[in-house]
Amino acid sequence: MKVHWLLIFALVMVTSSAWAIEITDDQGYTTSLQKSPLRIISLLPSITETICVLKQCQKLVGIDRYSNWPESIQSLPSVGGGLDPNIEAIAALKPDVVLVGKNSRASERLRSLGIKVIAFDVKDYADVHQALQRLTLILGAPPKDAETIWLNLLTQVHTIASTLPKAANGQRVYFEVSSTPFGAGESSFIGETLKRLHLTNIIPSSLGPFPKLNPEFIVRENPDLIMMGYKQSGQIEGRPGWKKMSAVSQQRICTFTPTEADILSRPGPRLAEGAQIMANCISAKYP
Amino acid sequence: MIAINTQNISAKLGGVEVLHHISAAIPQAQWTSIIGPNGAGKSTFLKVIAGLLPHTNSVNIFSIPLHTMQAKERAKKIAWLGQNEVISDDLLVYDLVMLGRLPHQQWFSSPSATDHHIVEQALRSTQAWNLRHRPINELSGGECQRILISRALAVQAEIILMDEPLANLDPPHQADLIDLIQSLTQQGTTVVTVLHDITYALQANHVIILNQGSLSYEGATTHQQTHAQIETVFSNRIKIHPLQGSWVVMPQNR
Amino acid sequence: MTTIQAANFPSRVRVWRLSVILLVTTSILFIIGMSVGSTGIKSFILNTSDAGAWQIIFDIRLPRTLAAWLAGALLGLAGAIAQGLFRNPLADPYLLGSASGATLGVALSLILLSTSLYAENWFMRIGITSAAFFGALAGVLITIFLAKGFQHTFRLLLAGVIVGVILGALGSFISIMNPEILQAMQAFMLGTTSFAGWSACVIMSIALIFSCALAWPLGKALDALALGELTALSLGINLNLARAIFIFILALATGTAVSQVGIIAFVGLAAPHLVRSQTNVTHHMLLLLSSGVGGGLLLAADILARALIAPQELPVGLLTAILGGSYLLWLMHAKQPVGRYK
Repeated sequence: MKVHWLLIFALVMVTSSAWAIEITDDQGYTTSLQKSPLRIISLLPSITETICVLKQCQKLVGIDRYSNWPESIQSLPSVGGGLDPNIEAIAALKPDVVLVGKNSRASERLRSLGIKVIAFDVKDYADVHQALQRLTLILGAPPKDAETIWLNLLTQVHTIASTLPKAANGQRVYFEVSSTPFGAGESSFIGETLKRLHLTNIIPSSLGPFPKLNPEFIVRENPDLIMMGYKQSGQIEGRPGWKKMSAVSQQRICTFTPTEADILSRPGPRLAEGAQIMANCISAKYP
Repeated sequence: MIAINTQNISAKLGGVEVLHHISAAIPQAQWTSIIGPNGAGKSTFLKVIAGLLPHTNSVNIFSIPLHTMQAKERAKKIAWLGQNEVISDDLLVYDLVMLGRLPHQQWFSSPSATDHHIVEQALRSTQAWNLRHRPINELSGGECQRILISRALAVQAEIILMDEPLANLDPPHQADLIDLIQSLTQQGTTVVTVLHDITYALQANHVIILNQGSLSYEGATTHQQTHAQIETVFSNRIKIHPLQGSWVVMPQNR
Repeated sequence: MTTIQAANFPSRVRVWRLSVILLVTTSILFIIGMSVGSTGIKSFILNTSDAGAWQIIFDIRLPRTLAAWLAGALLGLAGAIAQGLFRNPLADPYLLGSASGATLGVALSLILLSTSLYAENWFMRIGITSAAFFGALAGVLITIFLAKGFQHTFRLLLAGVIVGVILGALGSFISIMNPEILQAMQAFMLGTTSFAGWSACVIMSIALIFSCALAWPLGKALDALALGELTALSLGINLNLARAIFIFILALATGTAVSQVGIIAFVGLAAPHLVRSQTNVTHHMLLLLSSGVGGGLLLAADILARALIAPQELPVGLLTAILGGSYLLWLMHAKQPVGRYK
């Protein structure tokens, strides 16, 4: 994925009179843009946030129902979700390009109507960096903006990590993303943040970024710290066998508010804020 | 002239052989009754000569082997009326009888004037013309039976095979049907019926007696020899009594 | 003389009445369908000056509305065939495993789509639509294979149930192992016309015309079957061939409809009953009328799906289930038993 991004870079002709780019998205679909899009619809919250962080918020004309940051975009028309967008509403807004999280039948339908669709598949830090770069390209912003934002982000995370108590160093953590249970593995963006915060993930990268786990596995791994990245119903102590886990008996369970959960679950420009949220909890559990 | 000739045929139902080496000859333009005790294989035999069940060796229709005939050809020559056919439909009587014209119709065509004429004839001959607008499931058992007979008549086949056609009919209509069969044979149609009532069976010209899947006897209904055979097959629990030029069968008490 | 008398049955006249009502209702529904959109119901005639609005109507609403009718027509035809072929008033177009086969096909294609590498472009071209269609066909083929041919309708029914259960379980298993596809799967299972464009309409039109053309002459076989298999055979009908063709039409019609709009329940089941409750016809007309009624039903349901909570949409399969289920419930409790099967 990173390789062909460089190829695109080579295709870019950034002059004032002949701005045209070809983007091949993460599922191999190539879209060509003759001019920098002025009307953009975003169906992925992290993309919405990235656009605004690049100070191109004003180009957004429509968002999905889950995008809710920053506040300025909340007044924009909502056109449905990523998988079930309202085709007519999107067409009525006459977008120059629609940015989606995954290619779906909706993307096919939109493309058949002549609307340009670009898909982003963002799973880890590198993907976030690449999305930043791609969006600067699409938005016609200076490429250095992307690098500046990215560097800032990394620096912030580093700083946050350095404020963590020594006692938390190397502690084994389990981050749950949904109650099935699905966990965040080493290779996911959540996992990378945890790593930068000097925590060890009980889910190795061999299991993939967001694997579905057997609860037995979690019990056997016996993490020192548990993070619940979503609003869960019921007490986790009630799960069979979990009472004996050291994290549970020592009450090292991090839960988050819905707003915090939003930030934690989005692989976008607020990764550093996510790291801060995690750090706050870690500091609280390891005084 | 022989209408139907079976040569040493056997047939299986569910893997079990139920007809054993039957060689029988059914005369043309006459009414033949097939009788025998319960489970003798009468219905099975009728289905076999209708071409509806597989069998060994051959059945000949007017000297032509049945298995060499195309389905439509056979359908035009032989009309078959089964027993206890469940019709769970609100098919209109007229449409139902019109189905009897199927062997004569092309796939794409609608009924011709001839078809309509024949359907009317068929319905009138069973006194059912006034029922033609009614759905079949609104009719009584007897009315339904007459409609089914009309359907078989509408085929205008040279051979009509009927399995218990008198079922559900009240005595006047039973008499009507017997009259109808006799006029059919006078016009050259061959009629074969399976009847469990031997009194009515003896109204026919010819009788085939089956017993436990084998041919027991076949002969004219007027012969004394035939009567003796019938009584024997039924273990002499019945007696055939002459009555006003015809015969009546009464159970024989011990 | 009697030819003319025979044709003018009371119930025949009702056929004409039903056809006219159907035509008029469908036309009205079409007009309404073009007015319902993301902004609720707004007469599209008022928008003639706005070129952009016209484009929306022509590119999006018209094909959707037409697709709803076409899919309903395909399902109505398939339902009438299924009920006639199996002589069962509860038969629906999906009973030979086509729905579960399509679902499995969609599940597989969704996984391939989500994990496909850049180089594997042909996976994407296969697309969900083709996967659903071929899945439906595969389901029917497996059923025929399990039933060892077309000879026994009971075996076919049984095999259809088995295949439905097994393929359904496989589809569920795949969804559970790859839960990222769950939402897309659900959208498919409940049905929607939002992805139907002009190409969908063309495909379904071809399938509908072809299916009707094949089924029309075979209507006689279905009528004969109403008298029982042996009687049908005695009338010279090649039952095996007729069954084979009917099952092919079933697979084609259901597969096409399902691949374009997802799985929509009750339309195929209810359309023939609706026709039968109003009129008594032989299968020729029953097949065509079921098709027309099915189209109207799904069209109406789609309009409701789009209009009830505009700008959001309800899945149309949900509405057909509610409407169709209520109708059948009413049928059951009607004072006079209606319909062919009492």
